[in-house]
Amino acid sequence: MTFHLFRLECLRMLRDPRYLALAVVAPIGFYLLFATIFGGDPTQPGELKGTVEIMVAMAAYGAIWGALSATGPRLAHERSSGWLEQLRSMPVTARHLLTAKIAAGLAVALPAIVLVCVTAAVAKDVRLAAWQWAALVPAMWLGTLPFALLGVVVGLLVGPEAAFPLSYGLYMAASALGGLWVPPARLSAPLQDVAHTLPTYRLADLGWRIAAGHAPTWADVAVLAAWCAGFAALAVLAQGRRPRRARTGAASAAAVG
Amino acid sequence: METAIALDRATKRFGELTAVDALSLEIGRGATVALLGANGAGKSTTVAMLMGLLQPDAGRVTVAGRAPRQAVVEGRIAAMLQDSGLMPGVTAAELVGLARRMYPAPLRVEEALELAGLREQARRRVERMSGGQVQRLKFALVAVAGADTMLLDEPTRALDVQGRREFWAAMRNCAAAGRTIVFATHYLDEVEENAERVVVLARGRIAADGTPARIREAGGRAVVRFRVPAHETLPTLPGEVVREHGWATVRSTAPDDVVRRLVGSGADWSDLRVSPPSLDESFLALTGSTHPAHEEAQVR
Repeated sequence: MTFHLFRLECLRMLRDPRYLALAVVAPIGFYLLFATIFGGDPTQPGELKGTVEIMVAMAAYGAIWGALSATGPRLAHERSSGWLEQLRSMPVTARHLLTAKIAAGLAVALPAIVLVCVTAAVAKDVRLAAWQWAALVPAMWLGTLPFALLGVVVGLLVGPEAAFPLSYGLYMAASALGGLWVPPARLSAPLQDVAHTLPTYRLADLGWRIAAGHAPTWADVAVLAAWCAGFAALAVLAQGRRPRRARTGAASAAAVG
Repeated sequence: METAIALDRATKRFGELTAVDALSLEIGRGATVALLGANGAGKSTTVAMLMGLLQPDAGRVTVAGRAPRQAVVEGRIAAMLQDSGLMPGVTAAELVGLARRMYPAPLRVEEALELAGLREQARRRVERMSGGQVQRLKFALVAVAGADTMLLDEPTRALDVQGRREFWAAMRNCAAAGRTIVFATHYLDEVEENAERVVVLARGRIAADGTPARIREAGGRAVVRFRVPAHETLPTLPGEVVREHGWATVRSTAPDDVVRRLVGSGADWSDLRVSPPSLDESFLALTGSTHPAHEEAQVR
């Protein structure tokens, strides 16, 4: 059951022009723009070449929105439109539904990572060793899990009107503070401290380290895992809420059950 | 007869409001039963309890002898809910195909779409469908389940006359196949034509329970109408008498008595006709709109 829900969730996303524009076309476009302007050689030893650093940042940027938008705004809309109510009257459990949503969030994050990397290789002549590509793509892909979970929390707690702007606001703020727009090394020391606590920075850092030929740090993995645990706990709490009102034919604000 | 649905003093409260009040009801397998009631009578709350979407605060609800949620998970009951919506971004066939995979003995997708009158719209996206088509698609989701029991809350809302006709033709096929059908509606003609039993709810309780004919007789008043000159004096008749334009109309629960007194009075009347009680009038009477005294009438 989960697989069939997952398949339909993915289909819906791939048919959604807003997803394609924001999670696929935009990061590729931004990559081409920024790599052309800031894609020079490193100015300090140990730094990545601009085209590589921006490739990882933009891959993370697109993947995060893919994961977040497949879960948050959609779930909030489905709560108000009655689709969750329909599912509750069918042999579908909350676990089926949320597993399918999170898996779809991860699946639709993948095109951004792959296509930005392909664009970088083709248009900006980025070359990494085969093991680096083989490690970078799955590591960054799995690193989007906290964002899919964040989307579930937003979708379960926030109304349909607020879910999109809230998700997008969180996304832009976390991207900027996490060093996806400005290289973290150029941020002030206090902002760098903030960045190091954010999943956006840690997701990109997985990619930057692999691209530099190193293994990701335990700090990257630990911070991402902590965000996952926190969002998962919040999602469980949010999902546990139940409607307490009479059914009069108006759209129900039922939680997933 | 095997019991498909049973409520035993089921009660559901929302704060101060008691939506369903110690409701006891048994529905046998293969029956087609209408739940009738004004807005707020407790129909949708009853449906929600039968689907396990709401838990009763007191009493017990079972479907096919098990807890409602269990019956839903096992695919023994499928419902068309009033508040439900559909997943946008997918086609009718894709959505029915998803539902099909949830049930142990489903119909084919094409069969369910055909039954719902949506064969031509199989590849249409949900968000591009009209209100009537969405309602049909909700029915296709129930039909594809092939469940023993079908629960339909306001199933023909948003359907045009033709759509309603086709819907009920499909339902009659399901009933003929031995399925238990319980539907809540406001359309009394649908009740009259399709239900073999009517349960009238008022304020969360059963106001009447019986065949459509018995419900009509229980709460409704027959209409005795005859031509009579304006100056003619009529005897005292049991019922509400209205005289206008040379006609007298008597609404009465004792039409035989009305006719007997008229015949015995020697009054100058003609063109007498008697109409049986209508379900509309009976419904209004039983649910307290015109005859509050009858609200708790038990027909059985």
